[in-house]
Amino acid sequence: MNLEKVIFGFFIVMALTLNFGFFLGEMEKPEYHNVFELFVLVVVNLIATGLKLGDRTQIGAILLSTSLVADLQLIAAAVYWTIVVHVTKTGLTPDVTASIVSLSGGALVANIVSVVMVVAETLMLRR
Amino acid sequence: MPRPSGNPVIFIVLREMRTPIIVLICVYAVAILGMALIPGRDGEPMSIFHAFYFVMYTATTTGFGELPREFSDAQRIWAIVCLFVTVIAWLYSIGAIIRLVQNRFFQLAREEWYFIRAVQRISEGYYILCGFGDTGSLLARGLSDAGIPAAILDKDEHRIRALGLRDYSVSMPGLCCDASDPRFLVDAGVQSPLCRGVIALTHDEEVNLKIAAVSRLLNPDIKIIAMSASAFHEETLATLGRDTHFVDPFKVFAKGLGAAICNPSLYILNEWLSHARGISLKTRVKLPPPGRWIICGYGRMGREVNRVLAGFKVETAVIDPHFSDEDIDIYIRGRATAKTLKAAGIHKAVGVVAANDDDGLNLSILINARGLHPGIFMIVRQNRHQNEIAFNAANVDIIMQPSLVTARKILFMLVAPLLKPFFGFLVEKHLHDRRFMERLLRRLTMSLGEAPPQLLTLGLVPGQACALDQAWRQGAEVRLGDLMRDPRLREEGLAIVPFALKRRDGTIRFLPDDAIVLEPGDELLLCGTESALQLLESTLNNEYLLYYVLTGKNMPRGYFMRWLRRKLEGDEAVSWPRRPTAA
Repeated sequence: MNLEKVIFGFFIVMALTLNFGFFLGEMEKPEYHNVFELFVLVVVNLIATGLKLGDRTQIGAILLSTSLVADLQLIAAAVYWTIVVHVTKTGLTPDVTASIVSLSGGALVANIVSVVMVVAETLMLRR
Repeated sequence: MPRPSGNPVIFIVLREMRTPIIVLICVYAVAILGMALIPGRDGEPMSIFHAFYFVMYTATTTGFGELPREFSDAQRIWAIVCLFVTVIAWLYSIGAIIRLVQNRFFQLAREEWYFIRAVQRISEGYYILCGFGDTGSLLARGLSDAGIPAAILDKDEHRIRALGLRDYSVSMPGLCCDASDPRFLVDAGVQSPLCRGVIALTHDEEVNLKIAAVSRLLNPDIKIIAMSASAFHEETLATLGRDTHFVDPFKVFAKGLGAAICNPSLYILNEWLSHARGISLKTRVKLPPPGRWIICGYGRMGREVNRVLAGFKVETAVIDPHFSDEDIDIYIRGRATAKTLKAAGIHKAVGVVAANDDDGLNLSILINARGLHPGIFMIVRQNRHQNEIAFNAANVDIIMQPSLVTARKILFMLVAPLLKPFFGFLVEKHLHDRRFMERLLRRLTMSLGEAPPQLLTLGLVPGQACALDQAWRQGAEVRLGDLMRDPRLREEGLAIVPFALKRRDGTIRFLPDDAIVLEPGDELLLCGTESALQLLESTLNNEYLLYYVLTGKNMPRGYFMRWLRRKLEGDEAVSWPRRPTAA
């Protein structure tokens, strides 16, 4: 067993599962989407990105870019949430909630691509 | 004569269309002007715009019904005149275009232009192939399999048309022309930095010589391979500089035949490497016991065969209709028939070589010889590729096609230049150790199994092995055996047998063993399965895989993990295995 693979795999799969959990539920209803889940999701995604830094292979480059896409979308969602609650004070109206959740949906796709690539690369090795 | 730059086809079309276009413009101008001057029903003539509109659709006989205003009779008369004159002008112009398109010289210019463009679009190193006969097309197929493009020149239009129907995996533009004309060699890109060599394979040796000479003058650094069968031409070719090679199809054939008779394992190896049908590493040639061989046909090929066999101290008898003043023990004049075969001692002989340049004659010798001596060993020369079915149906021990043998030899010269010294080494070894070839074939069978072999010439230079280059720069020591490990599971070896290792100083080591330490600039000749060679290339270009095959450990791939490993286990954990420094 390789400890590095365990840590790496843990964070990448964790990013996907949290993302899925946040995305799940009716889109425009804020009660289905937890703010702390979004917070943890952003943190785990950033850690996964950090772990991917420094890989000089082609696959490493693509993995990093999928992670960056997910980060971008999730941070956009978090910033939007903050603005509507604290700056404009409009609160989580159905249309705002739908935009936030759809942003996290985009990040979900990026995370799926990332996990599929990690699994495929591992399966290619026979060790 | 300076050639027009740009597209000569457009240039010709414009020049030829000059008169028709001027005629059309004048006819239109007169018709429009007339329409704009002739008064209409209300006494007022049409405006120029309306006249232009009317003439436009009348002249092309479109028959458009819309009129700006109903015509007066004067206008109607002018409309009739317009119709006839413009239609005649159009017929004349279209006729001029058709005449131009059908013009043979215009077609040639167009084909040449397309050819030049196709050659310019080739983005990797390519060869110029002059002559697309049997040998040329076999060589083109081989080059296509190796992924190397070629520009093909041939005099015969039918051959170039046939070329257009082949399904090559790479670009193979062809042009019907006289390849010895320097202009066409320039078209084919002999001066281009991407052009790696010129191969002259036409039937005419004078033409081959001229192609070689012209190519050398146009590009002093290019590799030249010319087919030539006479000593005089070889001497001339030898003066053309360092990278000039000549291939004598008769000598190549005779050498192959000598190998088949005296070193059958080498023959099998060569056939297997060239993917000959029905040949595997388990194929064995059942050689006859030493004894007399009968050579039918004493032309240039028969002479070479006799010389090679004499070199191996084989007793020979020759049958040929022509007179020869050479000192040969048994020389029977006449065609090879049952009578002459008997006179040559077919009952005592062990083998027959039918080496005539006529396939029908060779087949009849085969049938006669088999009738007189059923168990005799037969080697038959097949001249034309299309007679393959007949030869395969005949029960022949060895069929040799000069064109095929030559094409293979040239292909190996291009894709695996180290193979020739390797074969020389095998011949040498075979003289001292009869079991050596058997051991090599067994090793290849163990390693590659039933898979078709691929040859790869690998230069250990940054372009072809960037991870290896990086490892070397960090002081790593790399042994050949480590590279031959499977990057997916280190304990298993790749299905590759290294044939030769050429050092930068030119020394060559044959069948290098696993412990040998590789150095930058080494050149390897490898024989392996396609997938194994691909895995090897991924090892050479991916530093993590390279680190794994060298050490058996995984190098952490990210910065953070590498930092963590260094903290926990020290610097040694993430560094390459060092070369022992000389104290």
